[in-house]
Amino acid sequence: MTNIIEIKNLVKKYDNRFTLGSIDLEIPNGVIVGLIGENGAGKTTLIKSILNILKIDEGNIKIFNKDFNKEENTIKEDIGVVLDNMFFPEILTPKDINIVMKDIYKKWDEELFKKYLNDFGLNINKQIKTMSKGMRKKLEIATSLSHHPKILILDEPTSGLDPVVRNEVLDIFLDFIQDEEHTILLSTHITSDLEHIADKIIFINKGKILLDKNRDDLLDNYGILKCDIDSFDTISKEDIIVYKKNKYNYEILVDNISKIKKKYKNFIVDKITLEELMVLMIKGVK
Amino acid sequence: MLGLIKKDLLIIKGNIKVAILFVIVFALMSSEGNEILYFVPVFLSTMLFMSTFSYDDYNKWDAYVCTFPSGRANIVKAKYSASLILTFVAIIITYILGIVMGSFNNNLDFSKINSIICGVLFAMILLQSIMFPLLFKFGAEKGRIGLFIGIVLISSLLGLLLNSLTIKIPGNVIKTFNDYWFIILPLIMIIMLFISYKISKKIYLNKEF
Repeated sequence: MTNIIEIKNLVKKYDNRFTLGSIDLEIPNGVIVGLIGENGAGKTTLIKSILNILKIDEGNIKIFNKDFNKEENTIKEDIGVVLDNMFFPEILTPKDINIVMKDIYKKWDEELFKKYLNDFGLNINKQIKTMSKGMRKKLEIATSLSHHPKILILDEPTSGLDPVVRNEVLDIFLDFIQDEEHTILLSTHITSDLEHIADKIIFINKGKILLDKNRDDLLDNYGILKCDIDSFDTISKEDIIVYKKNKYNYEILVDNISKIKKKYKNFIVDKITLEELMVLMIKGVK
Repeated sequence: MLGLIKKDLLIIKGNIKVAILFVIVFALMSSEGNEILYFVPVFLSTMLFMSTFSYDDYNKWDAYVCTFPSGRANIVKAKYSASLILTFVAIIITYILGIVMGSFNNNLDFSKINSIICGVLFAMILLQSIMFPLLFKFGAEKGRIGLFIGIVLISSLLGLLLNSLTIKIPGNVIKTFNDYWFIILPLIMIIMLFISYKISKKIYLNKEF
């Protein structure tokens, strides 16, 4: 599988307050990559850095095997983007968006845009400001898809949406990924979304990548061992990735769950959810 | 770039009703020879164009537009182009209104209309040349305040300077200007816009959203 995005040594500094990186990242063709992390972890900064909305301090970005610095506009012809609360001025209508985008993207497909509007139940003459949050999000997604992009980059595309609309949106992404040439990079703090659709999970915390694994490897191999406070010392230190002490018990993040289950037969070892993994990695002690 | 120009013109189209209402009210007010009418369309067009920056800021358009395959320099170029298109439309409207009003009041004077419109156009191009770099640098809200403070400061300083110094403009300079104003004035406007564009472009190329 070839890499569609390759990032090397990316560093972005915000005064002394926050530093993203150094980030090394490879995203293969034809997958959905989920970027997870708590608020302020650096997900949006990473996405904005990739798209040159923010100026990176160091590093190199290659997309479609092309140097982003040299061929930014050519590369952007094939990228569809949905950002969190950043879109067309709300006085405009979908009809206006179509008029504008026809002259922005070489491959803008007016018919496809209208089809999406129709499928999503959006009125072409309705001003954005009169739309509900779910409708706006669908419009943003329709706009991002209508120039036949090969990559979708989405920052928090499901945040603030009710479960019904969220599922509809996730279905749109699954539909997009049916084409093997298509790739999605998607940031979210709603980790349950990713458990259904993502192939690869990247966990980012305080500007650094803590985990970069296939979803199945992650969910099949990682687990939580729960033990009472007195039994904690019987757990071998080398089996503990991180642990969290609760009022009555310990929660221990473990790898290679089948081996751990055999080794600690008297303890409960559960499969982990992405949310539990995220909380343990952030709050846990090494 | 064309798409970006269209986007600003579409925003203005959304607010055009209010602008037309203003022009009608002022046209009625000036029916007895009040020359304020000549300033209204061009001034309104500049104000309307300023509002596109407010809409952009409110919806964080700048971050979004940076994901387009247009390039940042073209984003700046599109703003200047859309603003100039609007200014020229406003000038044509002013011209037509001037002729209509002149005919209505039986005092149609083309040379008077021409000279007033040239003055208005020059003032608006000067205003836009100062306004754009400020809006690109500080955004719509702070940029507007900066523009206001800037204009007050510059006009006060100029007023003070002109009062305290007795500058005598040589007669041949005035004669050259009178003979060639139709070349000199557009040239100065082009230079002002060019310098303004270069400054705005530099600001925008390095800006983060």
